[in-house]
Amino acid sequence: MLTKRQNLLETIRGGNPDRFVKQYEAFAMIIGSPFGKRNPNPKYGELNVVNAWGVTKSYPVGTPGAFPVHTPDKIVIKDIENWRDYVKVPQVVYDAEEWEPFIEMAEKVDRKEQFVTPFFAPGIFEQCHYLMEIQNCLMAFYENPDEMHELIDCITEFELDYARELCKYIKPDAMFHHDDWGTQISTFMSPDMFREFIKPAYEKVYGYYKSHGVELIIHHSDSFAATLVPDMIDLGIDIWQGVMTTNNIPELIKQYGGKISFMGGIDSASVDFDGWTQDVVAKEVERACAECGKLYFIPNASQGLPVSTFPGVYEALDVEIDKCSKKFF
Amino acid sequence: MSVLQELSLNVEKGKRKVIPGLVQQALDEGIDPNVILNEGMIDAMSRVGEAFRDGKIFVPEMLIAAKAMQAGVATLKPALAAGGAVSRGKIILGTVAGDLHDIGKNLVGMMLESAGFEVIDLGVDVADETFLETYDKNPDTKIICLSALLTTTMPAMRSAVAKINAAPWRSKVKVMVGGAPITQAFCDEIGADCYTADAASAAEAAKKLAE
Repeated sequence: MLTKRQNLLETIRGGNPDRFVKQYEAFAMIIGSPFGKRNPNPKYGELNVVNAWGVTKSYPVGTPGAFPVHTPDKIVIKDIENWRDYVKVPQVVYDAEEWEPFIEMAEKVDRKEQFVTPFFAPGIFEQCHYLMEIQNCLMAFYENPDEMHELIDCITEFELDYARELCKYIKPDAMFHHDDWGTQISTFMSPDMFREFIKPAYEKVYGYYKSHGVELIIHHSDSFAATLVPDMIDLGIDIWQGVMTTNNIPELIKQYGGKISFMGGIDSASVDFDGWTQDVVAKEVERACAECGKLYFIPNASQGLPVSTFPGVYEALDVEIDKCSKKFF
Repeated sequence: MSVLQELSLNVEKGKRKVIPGLVQQALDEGIDPNVILNEGMIDAMSRVGEAFRDGKIFVPEMLIAAKAMQAGVATLKPALAAGGAVSRGKIILGTVAGDLHDIGKNLVGMMLESAGFEVIDLGVDVADETFLETYDKNPDTKIICLSALLTTTMPAMRSAVAKINAAPWRSKVKVMVGGAPITQAFCDEIGADCYTADAASAAEAAKKLAE
């Protein structure tokens, strides 16, 4: 039996996996860092927590995650033309001893079995709209393109500094990086706009990781983004996690399998809801596995971490993926 | 190219800065303010809506077009008021309790305004009672639009619609619902009148419901 790591590599390289990769099982997620300790995120039920960038976030009861608050008084960048007056880039370089607890976490991982996989969010586009509010941000790509390039460069430099520290202390095998690039039916911006503003930033960040020993880049965008897949391949993304059914995943696998793999295929909304049942989960998992096949595909709910909103759903998905492994392999 | 054609083209392209000048030029040429609104701007936004629905343009293009139209309407407003222009009707709009997502709701609001409706935007995380109280204060409202972006807030949408359905004025108002996890089946199940999948379709549906 292949290790979880070997099985994933066989899957994404078109080899001979002996079962479906079960969601996030191959990734030993390292969540946290010295910066993260100083970058407060609201806990469940907490409201109006200000993070290290000055962004206010809330995590209301009954919702699946924290969300930025953008009432006019809480928007960080009030005027994009003078963005430097508002953005204070947090410190990202800390003493080696501050990294020790995270180094210990990484050392406990059996790297033959799993990939040491730090988690990073928000991504570059997300950080822009967290700071600006999403409508202001999207309009500024048209109305203030120079300033948007400058802001993105600033965020990119922060990410590169963080990447240097991660590679120095954690020596990741894989990187799990969030940046939602669309809604469930479309990308937020045209592919041309993406190529002008967002792609160059990721060429630097993902390029850095790849040239410093990181074997896999897993990019999360639980959305439609099929039109960006050629760009994802250019960027060195190995696995697009969060791929929703609206993307026509079987067609993407046919077209791009071998260059990139797809992790998702089960929309969280279709299984992770109040009143979910094992039967509903079973049907969705079987449909996804049957449609997408054994190579270049990892069955997984679109949620961007190994959790579910409603208790038991993540585990139920695992159970059904095991059943499909028995059926299809 | 006539000033109306130029106005329409610039609204479509979202050239906000030139819009007030073009509206003023149209007024100076003696064109009826309602014609300026309908042929110079609302028609342009209909084309923008269609292009968005068909995936030919994206959220930024739609936003700058809507903002351009808002700039035009601001310039046109005194003339419209003087001429006794009538809107298509009043719409109450909000994201349901517990849900902080606003962009989908805002896009719907912009498209509704661009279609000639007066929109009362209650914002995000709107309590059920706020929808009811707002209707009580605005009994001429034609449609109440509710948005939910999370599976976890679908019950809040169900609750809000149930309360609206129980209101004595229910027969006088239509209820529209939308948002990522919402479907026609869910709309039917909770007793709302109309579901649409995107902002442009919402505006088109609202025009029909308000007739």
